[in-house]
Amino acid sequence: MFTNFLVAIVERILNTSLKLDSTLIDKLAPIAHKQLLIEIRDWQQRFLLVFSDQQLHLYSTEENQYDCMISGDIDTLMALQNPAMLTQLIRQDKLDLQGDLNIAQGFSNAFAAMDVDWPEHFSRYLGDAPAQQLWLSLKSVQQKGQAADKKLATTLSQLCQDELKVTIHPIELEQFKQHTRQLKGHVAQLEQRINRLLQNHSIQ
Amino acid sequence: MNENQQKTTHFGYQTVAETDKASMVADVFHSVAAKYDVMNDLMSFGIHRLWKRQTIASSGVRKGHHVLDLAGGTGDLTAKFSQLVGETGQVVLGDINSSMLKVGREKLHNLGLVGNIDYVQMNAEALPFPDNSFDLITIAFGLRNVTDKDKALRSMYRILKPGGRLLVLEFSKPEHEALSKAYDFYSFNLLPTMGKLVANDSESYKYLAESIRMHPDQDTLKAMMNDAGFEQTTYQNLTGGIVALHRGFKY
Repeated sequence: MFTNFLVAIVERILNTSLKLDSTLIDKLAPIAHKQLLIEIRDWQQRFLLVFSDQQLHLYSTEENQYDCMISGDIDTLMALQNPAMLTQLIRQDKLDLQGDLNIAQGFSNAFAAMDVDWPEHFSRYLGDAPAQQLWLSLKSVQQKGQAADKKLATTLSQLCQDELKVTIHPIELEQFKQHTRQLKGHVAQLEQRINRLLQNHSIQ
Repeated sequence: MNENQQKTTHFGYQTVAETDKASMVADVFHSVAAKYDVMNDLMSFGIHRLWKRQTIASSGVRKGHHVLDLAGGTGDLTAKFSQLVGETGQVVLGDINSSMLKVGREKLHNLGLVGNIDYVQMNAEALPFPDNSFDLITIAFGLRNVTDKDKALRSMYRILKPGGRLLVLEFSKPEHEALSKAYDFYSFNLLPTMGKLVANDSESYKYLAESIRMHPDQDTLKAMMNDAGFEQTTYQNLTGGIVALHRGFKY
C-alpha cells in the first residue's frame, strides 16, 4: 500500500510536469496508449507507465502485459535521462529491453527535452516584471550554488589527495635543532665576551 | 418453513425477505448518494483511492477494451478506465441505483469524460448484455449488497469474453486479531457517528458496518468464484485484509 501511495505521488508530479510544459503532450502523442513496463531490479518492483487522454498513468504492477519493457538497476535507469546512453547500456548488459524500442525512447526523449517556461508560470501570480526578476535571482542563486559546490568538491578532492601536515617534517626538525645549537653557541660566546669585559672593567 | 428460509437473506444483521433486499439497499444508497464521495474519503482516510489504484493496476486494461464497472457508483474506476481504453474502447458504468448513477454521470461529465462511457441501470444478478461481451468486469464495494451473489457471479462469467477477467474489490476479514478488534470498534462506534454528522444518516452507515461482517471472507468468496466457473482465482489482501481484491479469469 505504501508503494501505491508513493507511486500516486510520482504520478501527480508527472502530470504536473505535463501542465508546466505543454509541448510534452505533443511529444508523447505518438506513443499514446503504449504501455511501458519499467522493472527496477534492485528494488524488485515493476511499474507500468501509460500516456493516454493527455494524462500519464503510473501503476505499481505485477502484470506481464506491455508494449515495451525495460529492466535494470536504478542507477542504470537514471542514466537514461541521456537518451544517447540507451544503446551503450544495452551493449554493456546493464539494461534489458524487450518490445518496441521507440516507446522507451519516446518517453526518454520527451522528458529529456522538457523545457518549462518558469517566468511565464510565475507571472500568473506575480506579474511579468517581478516574475522575470525572481527567475533571474533564482538562476543567479543556482549558479552561485553550483560554483560553491564545484569549489567545495575541488577543495575536498585536494584534501583527500594531498598529505596533511599534521607534524613537522624530520628535516625541519633537524634544521631547527641546528639553529638552536648555533644560537646556543652564539649565546655562550656572548656570555664569555661579557664576562671578559666585566673582568677588564674590575681590573681597571 | 423450508420455502420461507430460501426466500430470506441478510440485510446487515437483519434477516429480510429476498424480494425486499434490493429496495432496502436502494434506499440506503439513495440516502447517501449525494455525500458518497466525501464519506468515502472521510471513512477510509482517503485509502479507498489506493485500493482502487490497485484494482486498476491489476486490471490489465488497455486501448480498445470493453469494460463493465459494475456497482460503479460515482464512477471513480470508470474515470480511469475511460482514459485507458481510449476512443476505440468502451466503459459501461452500471449500478442498480439511479441516484448513484446520476451522481456518477454528473461527476464524469464535469471531468470532461464523455464519448466512451455508457450509463446503465442494471441488476448484477441479470446483466443485460450478450454472452462474451467484456474484456474486464470490476465490482468495487458492491458485491456484498447483491442479494444472490452466486447468481451475480455466474451472470458476470457469462458476459465476460474468453481471456477476460473479473476483479472484485470488497471489504473482507482482517488478517490479525488486534486489527480486527480496532476495526470493529471503529465500524460500530465511530462510523455511524460520522455518518450522522456528515450525511445526517447513521442507519445507512450502521448497515455498511453490518453488511461488511456478513460478507463472505476471502477464501469463501474465492470458492464462490471458482464455483461460478472462474479460473486461476486469486486474492490479494489490502490494508491487512480490511479489503481484499479477488481476481478470476474466464478461459
